[in-house]
Amino acid sequence: MAYRVINRTEYRYPSTVSASFGELMMLPRDLPGQRCLRSALTIEPEPGDLRERVDFFGNRATYFAVLDPHTRLSVIADCLVRVRGRRAQPSSDPIGWEQARDRVRGARGSGPGADLEALDARQFVLNSPLVTLSTQLVDYATASFKPELGLLDAVRGLASRIHRDFEYLPGATQVTSTIEDVLRCRAGVCQDFAHLAIGCLRSLGLAARYVSGYLETRPPPGKPRLVGVDVSHAWFSVFLPGTGWVDMDPTNDQLVDDHYVTTAWGRDYTDVPPVKGVIFTQGDRQDLRVSVDVIPVSEDGIVPEDAESSSDNEASVSEP
Amino acid sequence: MSSEPATAAALGPVTGYRPLPAVYDEMIDGEGRAREPWSHVGRLIDGLGVPELARRRGEAARLLTNDGVQYQPSPADPGAASEVRAPQRWELDPVPVMLGSGQWAELELGVIQRAELLSLILADLYGRRLLLRSGLIPPELVYDHPSFLREADQILIPGSQLPLCAVDLARDAGGSWWALTDRAQTPSGFGYALENRVVVSRVFPSMYRNVQAHRLAPFFRTLRSALRAAAPRGVDEPQIVVLTPGPWSETAFEHAFLASYLGYALVEGADLTVRGGRVWLRSLGQLEAVDVILRRVDSSYCDPLELRSESLLGVPGLLETCRLGTVSVVNPIGSGVLENPSLLPLLPRLCQHMLGQSLRLPSVPTWWCGEPDDQRYVLAHLEQLVVKTTSREPDAQTLLGWELSAAKRDELRRRIEARPHSWVGQQPLELSTVPAFTDRGLEPQHMLMRTYLVARGESYTAMPGALARIAPTTRGALINRGAGHRAVYKDVWVAASEPEELTGFWLRSDQPIEAEPAAELLPTSRAAENLFWFGRYAERAESLVRLLRVVEDRTNDFADGMTPAGNACLRTLRDALAEVSGGDATSDDDHSRVDAQLEAELQALITNPARPGGLAYAVRRLRDAAYRVRDQLSADTWLVFSALERELLGPAGGAAEQAPGRLARVLSSLLALGGLTAESMTRDQGWRFMNVGRRLERALQMLGLLRSTVTVAHDTATDSLVLESVLTAAESIITYRRRYRSHAQLDTLLDLLLLAPDNPRSVAYQLELLTVDVTAVARRDAAGRLTHAERLVLEASTALRLADLCPLGRVDELPDAAASVASGDGQVRSRPELAAFLEHLTALLKRSADAVDAEHFAHPLPQRPLPPADTGHGIYLRLV
Repeated sequence: MAYRVINRTEYRYPSTVSASFGELMMLPRDLPGQRCLRSALTIEPEPGDLRERVDFFGNRATYFAVLDPHTRLSVIADCLVRVRGRRAQPSSDPIGWEQARDRVRGARGSGPGADLEALDARQFVLNSPLVTLSTQLVDYATASFKPELGLLDAVRGLASRIHRDFEYLPGATQVTSTIEDVLRCRAGVCQDFAHLAIGCLRSLGLAARYVSGYLETRPPPGKPRLVGVDVSHAWFSVFLPGTGWVDMDPTNDQLVDDHYVTTAWGRDYTDVPPVKGVIFTQGDRQDLRVSVDVIPVSEDGIVPEDAESSSDNEASVSEP
Repeated sequence: MSSEPATAAALGPVTGYRPLPAVYDEMIDGEGRAREPWSHVGRLIDGLGVPELARRRGEAARLLTNDGVQYQPSPADPGAASEVRAPQRWELDPVPVMLGSGQWAELELGVIQRAELLSLILADLYGRRLLLRSGLIPPELVYDHPSFLREADQILIPGSQLPLCAVDLARDAGGSWWALTDRAQTPSGFGYALENRVVVSRVFPSMYRNVQAHRLAPFFRTLRSALRAAAPRGVDEPQIVVLTPGPWSETAFEHAFLASYLGYALVEGADLTVRGGRVWLRSLGQLEAVDVILRRVDSSYCDPLELRSESLLGVPGLLETCRLGTVSVVNPIGSGVLENPSLLPLLPRLCQHMLGQSLRLPSVPTWWCGEPDDQRYVLAHLEQLVVKTTSREPDAQTLLGWELSAAKRDELRRRIEARPHSWVGQQPLELSTVPAFTDRGLEPQHMLMRTYLVARGESYTAMPGALARIAPTTRGALINRGAGHRAVYKDVWVAASEPEELTGFWLRSDQPIEAEPAAELLPTSRAAENLFWFGRYAERAESLVRLLRVVEDRTNDFADGMTPAGNACLRTLRDALAEVSGGDATSDDDHSRVDAQLEAELQALITNPARPGGLAYAVRRLRDAAYRVRDQLSADTWLVFSALERELLGPAGGAAEQAPGRLARVLSSLLALGGLTAESMTRDQGWRFMNVGRRLERALQMLGLLRSTVTVAHDTATDSLVLESVLTAAESIITYRRRYRSHAQLDTLLDLLLLAPDNPRSVAYQLELLTVDVTAVARRDAAGRLTHAERLVLEASTALRLADLCPLGRVDELPDAAASVASGDGQVRSRPELAAFLEHLTALLKRSADAVDAEHFAHPLPQRPLPPADTGHGIYLRLV
């Protein structure tokens, strides 16, 4: 399975912006089961500075600066990603959740029994800007985490309960909403559900991280695929000692499979926003438009020609 | 009577100083004798006696005030835009703390080793993190600390990763030294330490000469070398700047002091910009590359793009340039992670592991609640421990367990259990005491001592001296802020074992004098703008004072109201005052207005800093402009400002008892300021902008004075009084009398005040100087065409030179109805040509000022975070 993912983000400003400085996390990283075959970023107006780097978590971050006055900023990330065999998860649970918790807690980086991956996972058990551990979260999680239950089963149970108990309601929360806000209004969007699940897992002492990416949406049978209806998406990942990280989508109550494309992960949303930036302007308003297309293409990577596709590669970072 | 001296001597040294029981006293040993390093100082202090010490303390306070040494109370929100808060005077107890050379040698080894160790730890935490892998540092200790900045990962500067650090030391009852805290974020206080030294050596000159104390200047030379060594590779003559949060930050004095002492530009975040992978300083009309930034802004505020997005103190893109290695930030962004007290219990093992040595200087016993055993210990001993948060974020807390109620302790226990990684418990120390000079004489007070280190090669140099903070109680010494008392500081003298050669900062005794880069440091655009306004407000204030004085004199002259011409003249002058100060010219629409009201208005004009156009307002703006260019002004400037503030802005500013002679005192301060800027500033670009502001403002003030007084004609008696008053307000009456030997007449007055090229008060004189400076700062195009500002100044000067005074003085045949009614004088007639001419010149000069502003001063637009693009706030259902 391969996808062409096009993310168009556009800001329009009523008053002139003298300079924009930004950081993008829109380009998919490589990971087992996912390979980014090609990626191009087109920013308008043409940025004076543009550089891609790898961040603390191994994500692809792009720094840019538009240094001429502008009233519009457009970012188009156009990527070709091959996704195959993402769901290499164990079918049966190899580890009980308490055992997993203890193995993370006691992970060492040297000596006998050293487990660097588990040691690294210890940072994902802690508080992060939008995820604060609490007894309230333990209380919520406990129903799914019966003693000696397998970790994976318990996590699936938790995701199902979140899916059932919380209403998907765009506008109920903001990007900076905390878990308490979500618990209070019992509604939210994918980001909130991911944070909620992460908070539950961490409150139990398990390592969990936030994953941002894309999800292919399929048209109802017989209907054509609409342009621009896909979205950037978010879910969570839980650490299974001995196995690795397993991604789970509580919004859709399923394990992440080959219909998902991962761009970046971190402790929570604040580590991996698709766009962040600083602008210089008198105006305090702007108009923001985002559209995403996740287009299935043939596995050999042949991309159907898209009339809309930008051939402007002047200001782009391309993968070799 | 004769037995008294003997009695005093029997009390021991220093006029009856008695240490506390069971506390180590720095000066007096257990047998009541002065310890060795103190013997000399003790004798000298005894020789001076308490009254003389009190006098010297007053002298120290005066010197500090005059040098403008201040400490701003900590801001509620360090990221918010600046607001004016009352600065506190730096409190210095001039009696120095003495350390013996042997004792210091031991301490020095301890703090140097500590700095070496901390530097290696920092390099590892932002590098390979082997300490986490090897289990020497638990990952949670680092990853759960808000000062560990993932964004700063893998950023290394050349040389030491910790060019600067400070260690807070304390001595316990047994006489052993302990390290309490390590300061690695933006170690502050060494500038104050130097200032303390300057003041103490001036207050106790003979003591300073006789006691061989190590000098501090060499330390600052090492600091300079360290900053050069930190420059990106391949940069030989680095451009180094001091990044300050601004004039209202806690230690703003020190930032400016260091910048001017070390010879670096003092910049705020908005003065810097990132482009092309480099950091640039917005100098006048051009960008200059910056190589090293001595950072006095906390890490998380340094780059609003990647760190706190609401910070207005940083530079977007700064971290990216750090990653590229084109700029070195000192200390590197993220260095605050070393201030985590949870590291303290690990240092002995880390020292052994990384340096192969045992830790020389022990840290105060500390238990990190992130370790289950330590947490149990802390929770079981809450009432005996100092409990504090591991970070210095805004919600940081230091609690003294024994002071807490049972309920508060339970609450604390719950907070620790909820976030154990964020808390430590520490063993309280009974801090040693030093003689503090209080109103009751010398009394023992507890002391904490901050020592400073700067990297040199592979190792460190310690400042041979320290900044000591004292307080009457241990509690007060431990808790710096908000403890209801003001911090008092002392200088620490380290006895030199042998006399040192006298070396100033710039002198090197050991090697040939190194040529320093002599390129003129262009002021930042912000500095130039503030200097321009400094010039304008200084001149505005001076003109106002002169006019106010004339009004005051005339009011006294004609207080009886019996002289019609006097009354008319007074009305004219008051109108003029209202007009030039931008108030409403209504003083004469109501003849029944009582004197008290007029008087109140006059007072408000003088002392109300909120009254725009008034004197106090102008002086406050002048002071604010001066604060923003603190590093460019002579230290004596603050002497003048402290006098001005006393008269106009301080708590006594509006007090009536200040009134007699106040204007004269304010004028003399303003004249002193004028003298300082004329005599003590180099003629660089910054000075020129100040002068452009001064000349423009003086010309505008003169035109304003003339417009509001002599554009109408009264009866001869009134006119004569008005003209004389105008000449007085224009500081030209003496010249006039000498030159014209007559009563004041309009044509000669105009000649002197407008045209005379040799009268330093005339408009023509201002325009001549203005032309020179506007040309000197002009940035012409390739063809060398005049700039807009130059053209406007030229036009004004030409108009003035071509002016023919005779027709200008023409008076309308008919009385000006409106003016006559308003003044109650039927004979008021206007001089329309003169009014129009003055109007024309005024307009040209105002446009010149605008043109200077537009051509030279960058006004960056407000910085705002880009709103985030929502994630998953659209359609979510996967339709399978």
